[in-house]
Amino acid sequence: MDDVILAGRQLTRVYWLGATPVVAVAGVDLEVRRGEVLVLQGPSGSGKTTLINLLGLLDRPDEGEVIVDGKPASGDENILADMRRDRFGFIFQTFNLVPVLTAAENVEYPMTLKDMPGPERRRRARALLDRVGIGDKADVRPDLLSGGQRQRVAIARALANEPEIVLADEPTANLDSATTRDVLDLMRAVSAERQMALVVATHDPAVVERAGRVVTLRDGRVG
Amino acid sequence: MLLWSLALRNLGRNARRTLLAGSVVALGFASFALAGGFMAQTFRGLRESTIRSGTGHLQFARPAVFSGVENTTLEHGLTGADRVASALAADPAVEAVLPRIDFVGLVSNGARSIPFLGVGLLPLPERRLMDVASLVTAGTWLSGGTERGVVLGSGLAAALNVRVGDTVTLLATTPDGTLNAQDATVVGLLDIGIKELNDRYLATTVGLASELLAVTGTVTKLVVVLREPAHEDLARTRLGEQLKRNGFDLVGRTWEELSPFYRQVRTLYIGIFGFMGLILAAVVLLATANTMIMAVAERTREVGTLRALGTRPGRIVRTFLAEGVALGLVGCAVGKALALIVTVALNHSGIMLPAPPGGTHGMPIHVEVYTLAYFTAGAAMLGVVVLASWLAARRAARIAIIEALAHV
Repeated sequence: MDDVILAGRQLTRVYWLGATPVVAVAGVDLEVRRGEVLVLQGPSGSGKTTLINLLGLLDRPDEGEVIVDGKPASGDENILADMRRDRFGFIFQTFNLVPVLTAAENVEYPMTLKDMPGPERRRRARALLDRVGIGDKADVRPDLLSGGQRQRVAIARALANEPEIVLADEPTANLDSATTRDVLDLMRAVSAERQMALVVATHDPAVVERAGRVVTLRDGRVG
Repeated sequence: MLLWSLALRNLGRNARRTLLAGSVVALGFASFALAGGFMAQTFRGLRESTIRSGTGHLQFARPAVFSGVENTTLEHGLTGADRVASALAADPAVEAVLPRIDFVGLVSNGARSIPFLGVGLLPLPERRLMDVASLVTAGTWLSGGTERGVVLGSGLAAALNVRVGDTVTLLATTPDGTLNAQDATVVGLLDIGIKELNDRYLATTVGLASELLAVTGTVTKLVVVLREPAHEDLARTRLGEQLKRNGFDLVGRTWEELSPFYRQVRTLYIGIFGFMGLILAAVVLLATANTMIMAVAERTREVGTLRALGTRPGRIVRTFLAEGVALGLVGCAVGKALALIVTVALNHSGIMLPAPPGGTHGMPIHVEVYTLAYFTAGAAMLGVVVLASWLAARRAARIAIIEALAHV
């Protein structure tokens, strides 16, 4: 049990379309262990993104609870924000980099939230960009980078505060197959070397192939 | 580190919109500063003209002079005026003490008699310290001494059909109710600038007024002119206590208390400019709020990302507030430069303003660089921009993260 870094207990999330309830996730139990690469797969609308959002504390369940490192994740928005900052990294389908910041500054941003001194921040951001293979692009703004380069910046940003869990929602959806392969290999390698849990929501077979464990969702339930 | 850097870069994202909002702030600042400068200059000018028109900085008299109407001339007159004047003049803050006799009567050219509002005064110090002598348009101001001359308002002279050098007869009631008359020579005509006064004004020496009213050493009041900078309230209190110690039961009034016109104009100006200021602030608020709301709307997904990364809502608010403050500071700096340029241009333009209420002469426009107005303008503009930013940022900080991330 000590290996479980993140768990969802009876997670349920219902959205309302007007007066009609739509059950996105229904009573899901899930455990994520340290260092494992877990892939959530399923067709569109199966609840992958909703489950990732709940596990990443981006959304609150209607029922059930999320447990991070053995403790229920609850409290006001500031407490949850601090928890996301300290323990989670996020990788988005559309990269979601801040366009007015350079690649290095995007990576630095999560560190500024921890009031890390400037020189230390800059040194670590450069090292992370080197690690993801785009150290030479540190001073370039995102709009001048390719899709693969942007996702590498996003990966470096996700690693900035040395999280225990990285959540990725369709991280390869906007990449070509060669870049997808490179990005996935990078994510797996980083996960392994840092003993960091990696949870990926996808319906990309290339991602599923590289999973340590696969959980299939169907109509909001683990199928 | 990133807060201000991020704010400035975000402002540069949509340069045209930022320029527009910054221009509104700059124009708002300049309008505030210029209006404040114009108002301050107007108040200062009105203050000086009120004091130098004869009111002086302070006036001392028997309490009844200020609180009621005299049934007969000099009913509440100040006897032994010379001793009181000497006591007042001993104070180092006092530049001069000017005795005045206020009286009414009829002035006649032999064929026609017209009521007048008369003042008996000391011609030479009045010419030195007050503006009234400079208003003479024909003849000369009173020369003092034993002269038996009068200076008439131009309207009164016209009504009597008299000119400089003509002789008129003054008729007035003495304090004991007797009718008395004195002949006098018209030595000058003046134009006060207020028609109602021009039609009734008559000035003569204290000596001739005393003869006409059959009194000796009695005046209506003593006008005190202070050395600059004048602190009227302090001086009034100090001089009043000195007089009390010397056994004189007199009260003092400041020029402002004696000038309801000044107070009315001041209240009116503050009301007008205050209302305009509120409208201006509302315009700036709407313009900058629009800019900030647009910025928030365009960056909703980015806000969602930043919050997903662990940014607290308060920091999101501070990020947008920093943008507002940066916009406000730059706008105020440009507005200050603009206000100074316009001030110089206006002050050299020679544009004439129309005559004020009750006045007959216009005056050239002059705008003062009034520090308080600049500070107020800066505070108002910054406050408004920060408020607009806060309103927009609050919305950004409250939106659900998953909604923000899904925003297109």
